[in-house]
Amino acid sequence: MKKIRDFINNADIRRFRFWLQLLFFVIFIYGGYFAINLGNSIPVFSCGYDKAVGGMCYFLPLQHQLARPLDVLFSVASISVLIGFVTFLLWFIIFNKAWCGYACPLGTMQDWITGLRKKMGIRYSTYTQPQFDKLKKIKYIMLALVILAPMGVGMGLLGGEWRTAFCEICPGRMITPLFVGDVSQWSLDFSTKTAMILTTLGLIFTGLFLIGSFFKKRFFCFFCPMSAMHYIFSDGALLKLKKEGDKCTKCGDCYNVCDMQIKDIADDVKSTNILRDDCIFCMKCVAACPEDDALHVDILNMKLFTSTKGGFAKRMEMDRLEKKND
Amino acid sequence: MTEHKIETPKERQNRHKAMEAAAVLEKIKHDFKEPPKAMEYFYDLFERVHCKHEALHGDKAKVGTMCIQVPSEIIHALDAVPLRLCNGFYTDDEIGSDLLPSKSCPLVKATVGQFASNNFSDKPDIVISPTTCDQKAKSGAIIENMGFEVYDMEFPRTKESHESREYWRRSVRKFTKDLSQNLNTKLSKKKLKDAIKKVGYAQHLYHKLNILRKNNNSPILGKDMFLVTNAFFFDKIDNWVEAVEALANECEQRVKDEISVASKRSPRIVYTGSPPIFPNLKIPLLIELSDAIIVADETCSSNRMFNDMVSVDEWFVNDMVDSIADRYLKGCTCPIFTKNEDRKRRILDLVRDYKADGVIYQAFAGCQVYEMEQKSVLEAMEKAGVPILYLETDYSPSHLGQLTTRIEAFVESLKNRKRRQ
Ligand code: SF4
Ligand code: SF4
Ligand code: SF4
Ligand code: SF4
Ligand code: SF4
Repeated sequence: MKKIRDFINNADIRRFRFWLQLLFFVIFIYGGYFAINLGNSIPVFSCGYDKAVGGMCYFLPLQHQLARPLDVLFSVASISVLIGFVTFLLWFIIFNKAWCGYACPLGTMQDWITGLRKKMGIRYSTYTQPQFDKLKKIKYIMLALVILAPMGVGMGLLGGEWRTAFCEICPGRMITPLFVGDVSQWSLDFSTKTAMILTTLGLIFTGLFLIGSFFKKRFFCFFCPMSAMHYIFSDGALLKLKKEGDKCTKCGDCYNVCDMQIKDIADDVKSTNILRDDCIFCMKCVAACPEDDALHVDILNMKLFTSTKGGFAKRMEMDRLEKKND
Repeated sequence: MTEHKIETPKERQNRHKAMEAAAVLEKIKHDFKEPPKAMEYFYDLFERVHCKHEALHGDKAKVGTMCIQVPSEIIHALDAVPLRLCNGFYTDDEIGSDLLPSKSCPLVKATVGQFASNNFSDKPDIVISPTTCDQKAKSGAIIENMGFEVYDMEFPRTKESHESREYWRRSVRKFTKDLSQNLNTKLSKKKLKDAIKKVGYAQHLYHKLNILRKNNNSPILGKDMFLVTNAFFFDKIDNWVEAVEALANECEQRVKDEISVASKRSPRIVYTGSPPIFPNLKIPLLIELSDAIIVADETCSSNRMFNDMVSVDEWFVNDMVDSIADRYLKGCTCPIFTKNEDRKRRILDLVRDYKADGVIYQAFAGCQVYEMEQKSVLEAMEKAGVPILYLETDYSPSHLGQLTTRIEAFVESLKNRKRRQ
């Protein structure tokens, strides 16, 4: 048992994560070819516009469902809405935001773009603290758009082209189908003025997505409404990111490696549940923490992966020295 | 034919310092039961440097540092040697007394005193003075007036805010650039990465050794640990690493063989406060001569140098420099900061982790910040039910009697407490 535990705690999670991300990418993007279907309530951006999708982003069905006329929406006929939502919750509750760090195809793409930048020897950029505090609110506005726009359609306040307003501007819609050779999403919809504006925005956001995530790690996740939606339910999730403030020296190592620039991860020594709304649960912080048990990932109060001095030294290659003569 | 030479002041000082050092080394070596064999390296090193005044670094560029916050990774990466100049000699303390207000901290007086007498076996080419406590910050200018090249490195005195993080990162970036210019050496990605890993490995080794003190049979005494960490001030890092590797292995074996340097009844002490720097190991020695054992410490001459390792996400120069900066500010529990919750948490964590029976807090008379923080630390310990003894000391060899009595009484009370439990 101790051996297994040591093995996990010393593991190079970067490699583990890379392969897991690739696996999920294949399942979600190409799953259709292998008759894999994980349903329509996947809590990440596994885009439904991809013809071979192996499990669909929950937002696409959600928006369609919410766009039903109100009396239909709240009738027995909408039991399927409820089932969809419960399925979403069940998926989410098991893995929490680790869906983002390990499974979301759009997240994985951003990590690959980051990899490309690293190869080119270009440094990443960061937001300043005031920028960060302002920008992080955008994802809640996006979430409001996901929910309110289709409801507006249902109530007859908005035109039909608002039905999947968020999907129209989501970079997932244009980029994901490319992986199965489908370029049909790369066009502007001139049918109505709104449609034109929305699809133009979509094009702009897609451009921003590509450029942004080249310079800023996980650029899009910062604005992602799915992340906002996760956060509402994350307290009830089984997988948890925990911190023991007594053991933390506030050294900031975890903050330094955090793609999402989450300051609390280092500076907050009071909270035990340290998952923040921007977090993508990548566990890089746990891997980068040099203090025993200061940060850990728990499932049902059992430590799954915990920070250790030894694991840290191993991952940073500080547990040995290449002997050189000088 | 014997020739009588008149002793120069410098020679006389060196004789005094050698006597001071030798007396303490004598005690460390012989007044205790069997130290690990690998300690010989350190006994010998201190004798060579502090008794025989041997130079270790030849003509390598030497960067003197006045405090713990100067990033040694960067100095190593620029092919120079960092030399921590915080000084523990009473001889130098007396010289410094003439130059500073009488109520100054003995550590600062001794450091300034050494500069005044310009008496170094390895003389620093440039001195980096971070603006930490008032006395240190101001003595930078005094030393500069004596004709040394001094570089003031701005250091914030709050550390909670994001502004201080940014400020310090900027300060470290500037330092990196300026030092690289000063030494006429370019900083490369590879060299910086190697330096981080080397210092990281030294830290890793220290921890490997240090955690062995958690065992009920502690394989090494606190006084020896202080020597090991003090040696890191000035030793060649490669030699130090090798010696600590051997020491850690030997101590691991000792734990397996259940060899203990203290008795089962010896109270286990966490030491905190003003840094014991060789040869001023007065308090640690008194503690361990009173049949207690120091199992952990929270001071900047020891544990604090090795905590908080650097972690880097992408090994680019900028990223590395920023990561280095954070390690020196954010985790630091030096009392110069406005608030110090971190220090209290750390002491309590050490008490818990190293199963300590009590805490001994030394403040140098004149070190205002440690004196001022005393009350809050005492309160925190009382609240947690941890016995604590507060001592005010200086570098002078007198007053030992009174200190001994107080320490012995404290150790005795801890023993009684232990027996009752
Ligand atoms: S466009 Fe975006 S929100 Fe819509 S289904 Fe695709 S990934 Fe999900
Ligand atoms: S936050 Fe990022 S990883 Fe998570 S669902 Fe959104 S795009 Fe995917
Ligand atoms: S890396 Fe660990 S010890 Fe350092 S600030 Fe983060 S949680 Fe605390
Ligand atoms: S807080 Fe930790 S798990 Fe969350 S995004 Fe940052 S590094 Fe990843
Ligand atoms: S206590 Fe702080 S200011 Fe004083 S020597 Fe140590 S680190 Fe420097």
